[in-house]
Amino acid sequence: MSYLSLIGVELKKIRRSKIFLILLIPIIMMWIPGIINVDMNFDLRGIPITPENNFFIQGFMGMVWFMIPASLVICTVLLNQTERSNKGILKMLSLPVSTTKLCLAKFTVLLILAAVQMILSIGAYYICAAIVTHTQDYNFILGPLYVCKNVCNIYAAAVPMAAVYWAVSTVIQSPIFSVGIGLASIVPSVLMINTKIWFAYPMSYPFYLIMVAYGRAAEGVYETQIAWLPWLPVAIGITILALTVSCVRFGASERR
Amino acid sequence: MSLFIESKKLKRTGYLPAYLAGGFLAAAFPVVNMLVRPENFTSLSGNPIDILMSANWQMIAMLNILISICGACMMYHTEYADNAMQKMSVLPIRQGKMFFGKFIISALVLSAMVVIEMVAFIGCAKYWFPNYAFDLIETLKITGFQIVVTLPTVMLMLVIASACKNMWVSLGIGVILVFTLSILPQDNAVLSLFPFASPYQILFEAMENSRAALFLIVCGIETVVFGIAELIYLKARRCFE
Repeated sequence: MSYLSLIGVELKKIRRSKIFLILLIPIIMMWIPGIINVDMNFDLRGIPITPENNFFIQGFMGMVWFMIPASLVICTVLLNQTERSNKGILKMLSLPVSTTKLCLAKFTVLLILAAVQMILSIGAYYICAAIVTHTQDYNFILGPLYVCKNVCNIYAAAVPMAAVYWAVSTVIQSPIFSVGIGLASIVPSVLMINTKIWFAYPMSYPFYLIMVAYGRAAEGVYETQIAWLPWLPVAIGITILALTVSCVRFGASERR
Repeated sequence: MSLFIESKKLKRTGYLPAYLAGGFLAAAFPVVNMLVRPENFTSLSGNPIDILMSANWQMIAMLNILISICGACMMYHTEYADNAMQKMSVLPIRQGKMFFGKFIISALVLSAMVVIEMVAFIGCAKYWFPNYAFDLIETLKITGFQIVVTLPTVMLMLVIASACKNMWVSLGIGVILVFTLSILPQDNAVLSLFPFASPYQILFEAMENSRAALFLIVCGIETVVFGIAELIYLKARRCFE
């Protein structure tokens, strides 16, 4: 089976899983307080930022630090558990399909789901920005290039995190540990971002990028330059390591 | 009897170790915080426990909620994964009794987690604050309050987990609720009474606003109401299955 048709099969498997709703609801939720408290964007408390930038960054902040990692964890549970019931994974593993390919196809589906979430969030942002522009008589809509660039950056930064979560969920069989580790790792990312070794902690990458975007929009809040050098090699290394581990360990407990 | 069966079911799922690990991870927050920047806290005036709690409780409460969500999902996942639920419903056992067995276990492990966290707070206070005097009644009061304000969340999460056959759906709903209530304004008195928002409350802050009794009463009522709702739901579900 070719890699593409395997991805097609994996997407078919999750068709009736309601994952789309689970991805959509938090994105709607995240903008409701933004619309209600829109006038707070004009009260900047001395931070030199324009209201439209403030609206964009404050809206995305909550999603980036909590909802992206959490939905990745939920998606890994989905990808693993749909096949555990009724031993579907055993049948998949007995087919003449390379397990590495199968594992990577599932990881690609995880990335596709994350991409869907990003596209939805861009859509939700524009709808909400249009609403508040209308109600407040002030232009809150930012250029699509700026918004898409930031969201794409966040998405790219979420890839190492996705790889780590995927590795955790394939290595650890008991869902309570894989989910527990995934969710618990979100909490300290706010602390890690302020330390010198933030680049070794994949869960803080998207949050770091939104903070840099914040720093660029508001002088002096945070750094304005992305520190590429220790970060990029470490991130690529973590991604490759996590994917290798997950490919090696995929289906290991079933093959036993 | 049902408690014994329920705890036996959880034996090989890693339920208890997960809670203990969560408790120790949460307990590490104040310790690490004090190790990294002790001067930020020792210079403050006031009760050491209050200082430590206001600095760390937000994260610890979030961790408690997340671990409770995982636990609730796991408890019902073991039932639904291999259709054990159908077998259970054939046995002469009340579904409600099973639910409350699960709730009591969750409440007990949650209490264990909060106790571990309180021990960490007391240890930090003893080590870094020389003028700290240990007060048993005060400590018990704080521990009890923090457990009671978290109970509605645990109960509601079990109700959600019992309603959803698929683990990712219940997990998704739980995570969405955590997210929603964490982005809503925290200082709103009504919103902070909701499950998933009430665990972030700290006893001494609630006492300053003289809301401590209100929290205890409302959270108690919420817990009971969700329990009754589950019983009604179980009765109603039988008509549709």
